[in-house]
Amino acid sequence: MSSGGEEDHLYTFDEIDSDSIELYESQNTSEFTIHGLVTPKLTTVISQGSEFDINEDEDGVDTIYEGMLDTPITKSSKRVLCEGSVPNLNYECLTTKGIFERILQRVDHLQPIFAIPSADILILLQHYDWNEERLLEEWTEKMDDLLVELGLSTAASVKEDKDYSLHTRKVEFKDDFACVICCESKNTETFALECGHEYCINCYRHYIQDKLHEGNIITCMDCSLALKNVDIDKVMGHASSSKLMDSSIKSFVQKHNRNYKWCPFADCKSIIHLRDTSSLPEYTRLHYSPFVKCNSSHRFCFNCGFEVHAPADCKITSAWVKKARKESENLNWVLSHTKECPKCSVNIEKNGGCNHMVCSSCKYEFCWICEGPWAPHGKNFFQCTMYKNVEDSKSKSSEDVNKTLKKYTFYYRLFNEHEVSAKLDWNLGQTVGTKVHALQERIGISWIDGQFLSESLKVLNEGRTALKWSFAVAFYSDASHNLTKIFVDNQMLLANAVEFLSELLQIKNPEVIMKRKPEFYNKAGYVENRTTALMECGRELLCKGICKVME
Amino acid sequence: MSRAKRIMKEIQAVKDDPAAHITLEFVSESDIHHLKGTFLGPPGTPYEGGKFVVDIEVPMEYPFKPPKMQFDTKVYHPNISSVTGAICLDILKNAWSPVITLKSALISLQALLQSPEPNDPQDAEVAQHYLRDRESFNKTAALWTRLYASEGANGQKGNVEESDLYGIDHDLIEEFESQGFEKDKIVEVLRRLGVKSLDPNDNNTANRIIEELLK
Repeated sequence: MSSGGEEDHLYTFDEIDSDSIELYESQNTSEFTIHGLVTPKLTTVISQGSEFDINEDEDGVDTIYEGMLDTPITKSSKRVLCEGSVPNLNYECLTTKGIFERILQRVDHLQPIFAIPSADILILLQHYDWNEERLLEEWTEKMDDLLVELGLSTAASVKEDKDYSLHTRKVEFKDDFACVICCESKNTETFALECGHEYCINCYRHYIQDKLHEGNIITCMDCSLALKNVDIDKVMGHASSSKLMDSSIKSFVQKHNRNYKWCPFADCKSIIHLRDTSSLPEYTRLHYSPFVKCNSSHRFCFNCGFEVHAPADCKITSAWVKKARKESENLNWVLSHTKECPKCSVNIEKNGGCNHMVCSSCKYEFCWICEGPWAPHGKNFFQCTMYKNVEDSKSKSSEDVNKTLKKYTFYYRLFNEHEVSAKLDWNLGQTVGTKVHALQERIGISWIDGQFLSESLKVLNEGRTALKWSFAVAFYSDASHNLTKIFVDNQMLLANAVEFLSELLQIKNPEVIMKRKPEFYNKAGYVENRTTALMECGRELLCKGICKVME
Repeated sequence: MSRAKRIMKEIQAVKDDPAAHITLEFVSESDIHHLKGTFLGPPGTPYEGGKFVVDIEVPMEYPFKPPKMQFDTKVYHPNISSVTGAICLDILKNAWSPVITLKSALISLQALLQSPEPNDPQDAEVAQHYLRDRESFNKTAALWTRLYASEGANGQKGNVEESDLYGIDHDLIEEFESQGFEKDKIVEVLRRLGVKSLDPNDNNTANRIIEELLK
């Protein structure tokens, strides 16, 4: 916060409901402009050169974003804050299908450079993790070797051995065909590539089916000749290759998890792509969280992949969530049988004897024993087998633990209550739709006039979420500090505001709803103000170190 | 039941090629999932003269999923666990292809004995030994072959010294024994630290050993 005046305004209880109507309506328009700012970027990105260049290396750049983040809160930025996001975070929302379509466009674009069929370029790109630049580099260096390596053509030496012109890749019907895979002889369709390694169609299908989810290039069972997408579809009888492309792009997203994040909401297939991640550390330093919103309006934190958790920051959130799960048996199992991937924090269960672990999520290679990168293990000696002396951590006195537990239970109950309420609000949302509909039919108001209902519901949701997470902040805050007391007051104010609004939304009679429309505006505007105030206050607690995770 | 047919055919193929000195048999008639395979240690290696038994579990999805293989015979080898017999070999994992047979997998294991991959180890202690002192490693591996894999071996180490079993230098053990430590403890610490022999000038390691011994 830069100006003290703003702070005063935010923390004191002097809101005047009468001008909230105007405030709220002006915010509606400002929200629209923010969205307007985001959309044109999509088109500009497409027109740029190599789409999937990864600029992870630039992450270390230390730029001062102070000015950007510390601007005083204006009405429009308040709307953004309320949604939980921060100004100036440029991202786009994609799907695997969208990414694949762009790849196809790029392939068309590249075709004249390579002068090989488009299907072959796709395989090359797939091998290079959809990284065009790396491919082009290697391509200019060792064109022919690359084609052989990836099974797009056969080495001349092999060709001499066996006449490849005899065979074409095709599905064929044969009488009494003996397949060496299943060892059955029967009248069946078979498939073979130019190499002539021919197997019955059922075995081929089984083989391909198992490989589709891996996302790697599928080759002949006996040699390195690659199956192209058309071959896969021909054998499988339907468009299975799209599944392979999907898995391949998924693994690409997983691997580049610094720039790409999956929307964590159930069944949501959106991917958020942040081109420039250099500002992320700065957000963390100022205890903002880089919240993003996918096309299905799910809001989550780009940093930790959790739902929007303002006013808490990522550290508080993860500490809180871990604590919340601690009691469950499930966590005990996870803790004793798995380790977190040192890079992407996915929990990994060891399913074989080998200590050379490859994270199935981000493909990071590490040693199970020491959790260090695998690379130095091969060449050097195994420092990790050396016994490490674990110092006994001084155990707290039981009284102390008990006290913390009590405090925790208190806050967790509140947190949980709001989580349950949020779910009920969700049900409420379903009925709001019907209510709007009823309004249109029975009183004959226009669609736009009924929008205040769904807008209010949205504000209610945001307020509820902020309130929920504020209990995590409260738990980790030093209770004796004055600012914490202000924070708790703010919590109370927001809690009241939220309950008022929630109550209003319970009204079922359309006439009453229309009559009380100004009240909706009032309460929603007020909830919004309180939400922003609580978030800012929480951030200040974090910035000043009053709220921190106790080890 | 293409799987049953294929397994039967694979067993026949092994029988048809006695020159390869590979055997493949069911553990019991009633269970076609569970087999035992054997092969001979490759000549010119410390494993020469040994006959190695491998436990084979064939999954339902065979041949589209690899069989689970594990040594029954104790083997001293960087890519094979000296305790459990677990094997670190790519074709038994992600590089598996349906055209690979149980026989060719056993041949691959034979090739693995011939040329270890210490850079992708299964047993860190053994791999360390292999990289640091090949001669001593070979001696130990040959001792294990004689003890566990040769004709008439009863799997008992009998009166073989614990130190020989892990290729630890006798003088080194005696040196610590003379300082009043117990032999079992010395062997245990040296194994844990992966020390087989000691350069007299390497005081750092010597201090570490003593530190561990005193615990």
